[in-house]
Amino acid sequence: MTKAWRLGLFGVAAAVLAGWWAAACVGLPGFGGQVHPYGERAVGASLERHTANVIASVNFDQRAFDTLGEESILFASVLGATMLLRVARDERRQRPLAARVMPSTRLFGAVLLPVTLLTGAYVVAHGQLSPGGGFQGGVVLATGLHLAYIAADYRVLERVRPLTVLDVADAAAAAAFTVLGLVGLVAGASYLSNTLPLGTFGELASGGLVPIINAAVGIEVASGVIVLLARFLDQAVEVGGGPGDGGSRTAGKEDGG
Amino acid sequence: MPSTVDLPPLAVAVPLFGAVVLAVAGRWLPRLGCDVLAGLWAAADVALLAWLWGATGDGRTVSWVGGWVPRAGHSVGVVLVADRIGSGIALLAALMVLAAVGYAWRYFEEPSGGHAGVFPALLLLFEAGMVGFALTGDLFDAFVFFELMGVVAYALTGYRIEDPRPLHGALAFGVLNSLAAYVTLLGIGLLYARTGELGFAQIGAALDASGKGADALVVCAFVFVLAGPLVKAALVPFHFWLPDAHAVAPSPVCMLLSGVMVELGVYGVARIYWTVFAGPGGIPADAVRPSLLALAVLTSLVGAVMCWQQRHIKRLLAFSTVAHVGLFTAGVAVLEPAALGGTAVYVAAHAGAKGALFALTGVLLDRFGSVDEAGLHGRGRELPVVGALFTVGAVALAGLPPFGTGLGKGLAEESAKSYAPWLPWLFTLVSAVTAAAVLRVALRVWWGAGSASHGHAGDPETSGGGEEPEVRAPRRTLPVVLVAVPALLLAGCLAVGVVPGVAEAFDQAARVFCDRPGYVAAALDPGTAPPVPPGPAPDWWSAGAVLSGLLSTALAVAGAAVAVWAPGRVSARARAAARRCHLAVRPLRGLHTGLIGDYVAWLTVGLAGLLVAVGALR
Repeated sequence: MTKAWRLGLFGVAAAVLAGWWAAACVGLPGFGGQVHPYGERAVGASLERHTANVIASVNFDQRAFDTLGEESILFASVLGATMLLRVARDERRQRPLAARVMPSTRLFGAVLLPVTLLTGAYVVAHGQLSPGGGFQGGVVLATGLHLAYIAADYRVLERVRPLTVLDVADAAAAAAFTVLGLVGLVAGASYLSNTLPLGTFGELASGGLVPIINAAVGIEVASGVIVLLARFLDQAVEVGGGPGDGGSRTAGKEDGG
Repeated sequence: MPSTVDLPPLAVAVPLFGAVVLAVAGRWLPRLGCDVLAGLWAAADVALLAWLWGATGDGRTVSWVGGWVPRAGHSVGVVLVADRIGSGIALLAALMVLAAVGYAWRYFEEPSGGHAGVFPALLLLFEAGMVGFALTGDLFDAFVFFELMGVVAYALTGYRIEDPRPLHGALAFGVLNSLAAYVTLLGIGLLYARTGELGFAQIGAALDASGKGADALVVCAFVFVLAGPLVKAALVPFHFWLPDAHAVAPSPVCMLLSGVMVELGVYGVARIYWTVFAGPGGIPADAVRPSLLALAVLTSLVGAVMCWQQRHIKRLLAFSTVAHVGLFTAGVAVLEPAALGGTAVYVAAHAGAKGALFALTGVLLDRFGSVDEAGLHGRGRELPVVGALFTVGAVALAGLPPFGTGLGKGLAEESAKSYAPWLPWLFTLVSAVTAAAVLRVALRVWWGAGSASHGHAGDPETSGGGEEPEVRAPRRTLPVVLVAVPALLLAGCLAVGVVPGVAEAFDQAARVFCDRPGYVAAALDPGTAPPVPPGPAPDWWSAGAVLSGLLSTALAVAGAAVAVWAPGRVSARARAAARRCHLAVRPLRGLHTGLIGDYVAWLTVGLAGLLVAVGALR
């Protein structure tokens, strides 16, 4: 197929799809309505379970099974990336070079790194109370750690990033979610039932199983994203295709992977 | 001791947990330990799902995860609804994973991706995705497990990273399936916006109650939601990723992709249509039937023609899967319970035959580092047992009685012909052509029949030579499991055909599957669904089924014989005719460019065509 044919075919077909999509959107309920059937029920169920953040209640209680699938997707992505980005037979690993960084950048990173990590931990820990939660806080934690790379160099990042520990933490947190589901079965209810004491509405230990699953997801996302990024960064910074590929070690720093 | 209603979520949770255990324990356990652990875990899930299949009977096992049972017909939770078709295909997936774990035990000599636990862990995650997709009664939940299945499958396809081809195949697979998944998500958004529901039964009931009928939103949602399953099912023109991915994925992974994952796409189409769209608020059957049937016929014909043209054995088997999926879709598209039941038998038996053929092709790759039909001419003589099994697989694919493929094909044909009298001929022709191509390979590779040269010099084609063997110890003795697993799979294919009661069980299961009011009642208002009365028992191995199976096999044998022996003996005129046929299908081959941009264009064309067809017929 020539480029013109491909674009032409795609253009015509995409126009048909867009037309139907627009026609379908006309049939949607209007903006700014006062009621939504699922919204009403979800808020009610969330209050019933003493969970202040309705989103967390939907994610970790009402539709926790979806979330189990989603965190398994992340877990599978980490495993898949580990497998695909392994060092191939014709590649070799090189020690990354130390990089020179402006002192102000280094100072800024050193100050902000703990602040960012604290923010991430806060967002995870208050997932059941305020906007945020395990997924969001986990990403903040994981990306915050990479300040070490930006403000220092790859060697420093490797020191603050114990990959084996994080890899096991990722798996252990994924396992924790699966096993926490069994708590409901042990209590005589169904899988992933929120049978723990619900606590007082609005307090840190409220919502029963919600904060615990939320924390497990936070740990899984934080460690999973760090490991995932590490596989890609390693490819960019450390792994070369053999002799004659000397540029990759320094290129990694400028490109940021 | 869990009760029956806890089984569906447990059948998903068990492989998820197993994957985690393997991912951690693989760091310290030796290779053998990982494989034994993976085997035990896969066997445990087979046991759970067999229990579920038995306990479900001709009813449905409804499981509200988290205990969010509906109040006044409404719930905020996720429901899993296992009927016999759903738990049956989940059981099939679990059995195929067990077979793949067993086969991979001695297949890969080296640990992959750091340690020996990663590959089996990914297989178990794949299993969790497939089982979750099969058992769920919730559209969004189905999407989640569909994605899990996809993510793992992309990674497994690209397993051999030293070779650029697997990475390219995995990329095409990933891009096409992900794009389709986004379209599906758009469709789910449309349905959720209108109904405020995510469960199959809930959306269906709300659509019926809305009284708007098949308006633009419902038509658009129908086609968009089906985009993901249609691409996974590899129906033409959504199929382009499949041969590229199947040709390069490791053989144990091909067994899973071709044997059950692709068929789950068809299952998804059927499930979503019957639960969500089959009511008065959905899409009229008269719009669905011809649209799906057109896709099915196109798919089976393109698959058969392309299959015949291949010399790369794994690509050949991949196109045979495309052709058979076309037939399965035809069995679903007539919207008759009896045809659906026959198709279910067909799918179960096909998984055994196709899994075995991929496994045996893996032996060729292991021994000779090639899967090129021409290059391997006569070299299979040192592996007579493998050759015999391959031949058995070929005739099983044709539907020779008493293999289950023949039974399923016969049952589907019997029922489908009441809608379209020409459908049995399609089934016979397509299964004969694909089986003939496989038999041709068997004759050339194992019997050294005909000449070693292949057809038409100068054509662009994928030869299948120069493949990297998937192991690094070329002259080891042939491990027993590499032959035992395909033999067992073929025995399974045979068992589906000879064990009495299988056909009846699937027939009644299909009647339950198509009982939409019963499904909605079971999900929303438990205890009120009346059981589906058993219908007349299907004709187990009717004369028509036996004859059609024999005819397909005879045609396949004749076709293979002509392909292998005729070129040297026929007149110049016959050769010229063959040459013209070959040139006629060249443009079709030319469409399989390997360019992802082309594939995306075809995906869009297919969806647009479906929208126009369903929109016009509603």
